[in-house]
Amino acid sequence: MGEQPSSADAPLWAVVELDQFRTPEQTQASQWRRSLRSVSTWLGGKNNAEQQVKDESELRALPEVRLAHIVPPIDWAPVAMALAQQLEGQDAPVTFFITTPFSGHASVVTHWAEKHHVTCLAPPTLSEIAEGSTQWVERCVNQREWAIPALERYFLRHTQGIQGIREFLERALSGRLGQGVIGCDSWTYAFLQRAIGIDGAPVFTLQSMEGEQLSRYFAEIATHSGQPPPVYSTRTGKQVLANLKGNGHELVKNEASRKGTNKELQRLAANCRGHVGLAWHYWRERLREPKVDDEEALWLVDALAEAELAADTGDIATLVLHALLVHGGLDDHCLGEVLPFSHHEALNARLALQRKGIVSNCEGRWQITPLSYASVRQLLESRKYLVDPL
Amino acid sequence: MEEQQKYARLFNDIDSEALISLGIVLLSTIVLIIVSQRGLNWLGNRLHGQVRFRIFALVPMTRLLILITALAIIVPIIVEPSLRNMVTLMGALGLAIGFAMKDYVSSLIAGVVSAVELPYRPGDWVQIGDTYGEVKHVGLRTVDIQTPDDDLVYVPHLKLWDHAVYNANNGGASLQCVASFYLHPEHEAGWVRKALRDVALTSAYLKFDQPIIVVAEEKPWGTHYRIRAYPVDPRQQFLFITDLTLRGKKVLSAAGVQSAMLPPDAALDNRNAVGSASSRGSD
Repeated sequence: MGEQPSSADAPLWAVVELDQFRTPEQTQASQWRRSLRSVSTWLGGKNNAEQQVKDESELRALPEVRLAHIVPPIDWAPVAMALAQQLEGQDAPVTFFITTPFSGHASVVTHWAEKHHVTCLAPPTLSEIAEGSTQWVERCVNQREWAIPALERYFLRHTQGIQGIREFLERALSGRLGQGVIGCDSWTYAFLQRAIGIDGAPVFTLQSMEGEQLSRYFAEIATHSGQPPPVYSTRTGKQVLANLKGNGHELVKNEASRKGTNKELQRLAANCRGHVGLAWHYWRERLREPKVDDEEALWLVDALAEAELAADTGDIATLVLHALLVHGGLDDHCLGEVLPFSHHEALNARLALQRKGIVSNCEGRWQITPLSYASVRQLLESRKYLVDPL
Repeated sequence: MEEQQKYARLFNDIDSEALISLGIVLLSTIVLIIVSQRGLNWLGNRLHGQVRFRIFALVPMTRLLILITALAIIVPIIVEPSLRNMVTLMGALGLAIGFAMKDYVSSLIAGVVSAVELPYRPGDWVQIGDTYGEVKHVGLRTVDIQTPDDDLVYVPHLKLWDHAVYNANNGGASLQCVASFYLHPEHEAGWVRKALRDVALTSAYLKFDQPIIVVAEEKPWGTHYRIRAYPVDPRQQFLFITDLTLRGKKVLSAAGVQSAMLPPDAALDNRNAVGSASSRGSD
C-alpha cells in the first residue's frame, strides 16, 4: 500500500519556490490558542494557564557554555547548498531568496556568494538613502554576477528613501546589471512588491519544518558534543527529542513513540509557522536543567509562553512594530523618519515596547524579539496591515 | 350592558398573575436589550477589520428581535387575540398615532427599516444632512453620530425618508480619503503625479490592497491634484489625510513647486468643497 511521504523522510533543508511554501500542520490551531490565551490574560491577568507536570521552580537556566554546546548557532551552509541547486539553470537577471526575520537569508546568500566567488554589493549609506540619491546604483554596474545579502538595508519607507532602490531594481530586473541573487526579509519583500513592483522575478524561500524535522534537527545539533541528553516537556512530562541510534542518523521508526515525541515540537513548529530560525530561539530560551545536580535530563519549559502583545495595543505601538518589521529593524533616528509622528512620540512608543520585551536592540537596530514575533505578526494581520507572505 | 361587555372582552382580565407576567417580561426585555447592546458594543470596540463591523451590525437587529419577541408575549396577555379585537386595537392606535405622535412613530418605523436595510450601522462613517461622523449607536428612534469635533449628534431615523445618507465605508473597513493640493500652473505635471503617488505609497497608514489614484484637474488658477487612497482603519482617516498633506507639501516644496494663488471667490468655493470632500471621504 502506498504511503504519503512523512516529514520524517523529508530533508531538513529544502529551498522551494515561494508559492510552494506551506505552513506546518496545526498553524491555525496555534493562532486560535494564542488568541484565547490573549483573551484569558486580559480577563484574568497573566497566569500559567496549562497544568505543568514539572514545577518550573525546580529548574534553572543552563550555563552559557553548556547551552552553546547543546544549541550551537544555526549553520546556514546546507541551506546555501540547497539554494545553489535551485539556482542552477536559472537565467533570470534577479533571483530573490526571502525568509522571515531571524531565519538567515543574509547568512545564506553570503555563504552562497562566498562559495561561488560572487561579489556581495555594499549597501548605500544612510545619507544616500535619505537624500534619494541614485549615485550608489552606478557603483553596481560593472558586475557580471553579484549578490545582495540583505535588501532591507537599501531603503527607508519615505518618498526619498525608495528612489534609490526603485532605480536599482528597475535596472536589475531589466538585466542591465548582469545577474544577481538578492537576500531579502519577507516583510521587506511584501512592501517592495506592492510599492515598487517586483513581480516576475523568481522567489525562493526555506520550506517550513514540521515538529518531526525540528526534533531531528535539535537532536542532531546536540550530538556534536556527544550523545544528546534526554529533553522532557514540563507540560507533558514526555520526551521531546527524536531518539538517534548509533551514528546518529538512523531514526527509531516506532510510529507511536515518534508521534508522542513530536507533539510538543509540532506545537512549537506551528507557533513559529515552521521557521527554524524562530524555533531555534525558542529552544535556546526555554531549555532548563534541574537544580539538583545528579539529574542528567533537560527540561523544555512551556515553549509558547512568549512575550505577548495585549489585544488592545494602540495605533502608535502597532505602527512602530510594522515599521520595524518592514525595515528588518531600525535605529531610533530612522524610526522617527519613517513614522507619521514626532521622534519624541516614536521614542516613547519604542521604549514602552522595549519594557514589555517586545523589541530589543541588536547591533544598534531595534527589532522585534524572536519570541514576540508570532504574536506581533498575528496582531498586524488581524488589523489588516500588510504582512509577509510566509 | 351588552356594549360594556363587548369592550370588556377586548382586554383580558388583568389579575395579579398577569401583572407579574407582564412585569417579568418587561424587566427581562429591558435587561436583555441592555446586556446585548452593551455586550456587542464592548466586543465590537475591541475588534478590528471586518469582524468589528459584523458585530456592530448585530446591535440593532438583536434589539429588534428582542422587542418583537417581547411584544409577541405581551399582547396575548393584555388583549384577547381575536381578529376583531386586533382590528379595533390597531384602529385606536392608528388614530392616536395619526394625531399626536406621527413623527415619533415615523422615527420608530424608520428605525425598524434601518435595522433591516442597514443604511448605517455602528462603526460606519456617514453624512446625513450637515452631520458627518462615526455612527456610535443605532437606537430605536435616533442614530447617534460622533463628529470629528467630538460632538455627539442624535439624528432621528425619520431623516431616512427624505434625506440622502452618504455612507463612506458601508459596513466595511475600506474608506477612501482624499488629500488635495492646489498648485501653480507652472510645474512638471508628470513628476508631481509620480511624487504624490510615492507620498501615498510610503504612508504608514496606507492600506495596500486598495488602489492609489492621483487625479489632476485643470482650473483657471492652476492645477488641483487629489490623492485618493485608503487607510488601514477608517478611524485613521484624519491622521492619514494629515500625513499625506504634510508629506506631500514637503516633497513639493523641496522640488520648488509653488502653490496656486487662488482668487478670493475661488478660495471660498474650494474651501467649502474640500471641507465636505475630505470629511466624507469622497470628492
